[in-house]
Amino acid sequence: MSYAHPEYLVDTEWVTNHLNDPNVRIIESDEDPLLYSIGHIPGAVQVDWFSTLQHPLRRDFLTKETFEEVASKLGITNDTTVVFYGDKSNWFACYALWLFQYYGHQNVKIMNGGRTKWEQENRPLVKEVPSYPATTYKAKTADKSIRAFRDDIFKQMEAKKPLVDVRSPKEYSGELTHMPNYPQEGATRGGHIPGAVSIPWAQAVNEADSTFKSAEELKALYESRNVKPDGEIIAYCRIGERSSLTWFVLKYLLGYPTVKNYDGSWTEWGNLVDAPIEK
Amino acid sequence: MTLPAKLQEIVDDFASMSREEKLETLIAYAESMPDLPERFKNEREKMEPVPECMTPVFIIAEKDANGGIVFHLDIPKQSPTVRGLASILTNGLNGCTLEEILSVPADFYMPMNLQEAVSQQRLNGFIGVLAHMKQVAVKVSAE
Repeated sequence: MSYAHPEYLVDTEWVTNHLNDPNVRIIESDEDPLLYSIGHIPGAVQVDWFSTLQHPLRRDFLTKETFEEVASKLGITNDTTVVFYGDKSNWFACYALWLFQYYGHQNVKIMNGGRTKWEQENRPLVKEVPSYPATTYKAKTADKSIRAFRDDIFKQMEAKKPLVDVRSPKEYSGELTHMPNYPQEGATRGGHIPGAVSIPWAQAVNEADSTFKSAEELKALYESRNVKPDGEIIAYCRIGERSSLTWFVLKYLLGYPTVKNYDGSWTEWGNLVDAPIEK
Repeated sequence: MTLPAKLQEIVDDFASMSREEKLETLIAYAESMPDLPERFKNEREKMEPVPECMTPVFIIAEKDANGGIVFHLDIPKQSPTVRGLASILTNGLNGCTLEEILSVPADFYMPMNLQEAVSQQRLNGFIGVLAHMKQVAVKVSAE
């Protein structure tokens, strides 16, 4: 059994062979935004989920127009193959890929294993920040078929369709790790969305080198929890970053046709007045 | 509010920096953070963990010859932002007395305007590190 859409994944060797390919742009997207500055893949540019990809005022993504400006500055055309990689098993690489898809960019790939594997293989990291000639980039209207909003969650619950909570078991159970007098970030309530199954994101990756597990292992993992291809699935976590990895796995590695990422996630649901919670 | 002099100096420096300068300075702080001294390498169970950080952060402290408190932190090099922020705290507080350390308010960093460079989530981790440093300082003072 192979991945349903293997063209969405490349390995570190492929990236090494395409470092100077003008049709390929390599983008680093990390949980820790300073990592790029201390060393990155030669020729790679950076996007930061916080300062690049979020709206400066509202809790939302950057607008379509700003996305076009970002793509243009990074030297990306509508035909460029964009390869994402990052730290933490590619959490934020998957988040950036999801956002590029949201604005209609077609040719996107994840470098399997991300920074972890690249470093383990002692491949080169440089500090030099490249610059590419600006392009004219036209984004598409946002593709809401891959993004869930809170109203979609209520409908999903009522229809008893699958919700996947990819946070750690303690976040799912509502147990908080905090100290007295220490301000908790995020949500005022702990627990999970009623009916959601707990499948922590990390179960989809190999701990040793951050690569994705095999198609057989992934199929067994999700199907055993009743998350099946014919279901319309919504994944969530705390802010939608870890669940974009699960979204990528379900949509491209297992080929499920309908998968959405709920980026409001627990920081919205756990604060939403009148929203039901299960513990 | 009076901060320990060294910490006040760092706060003032950051307050006058552009976003880019803040990021560069954070990297410099991260890169200058010393490795955990050899004598603590097998003392992980004695070190205080900081569960508020998504990155594994461990703290231990000892008293110097003048009775000041010196912190040693263990943070992976793959987490330069957390290292940089924690390094601000060790640079600003190492050698201070328990009273000086406990007097640092949790919002001392506000004038630094770090939120333009670092996400709120990360700043909460930063304050988590400070809170745990205070606990470690209390413990080492009682020894």
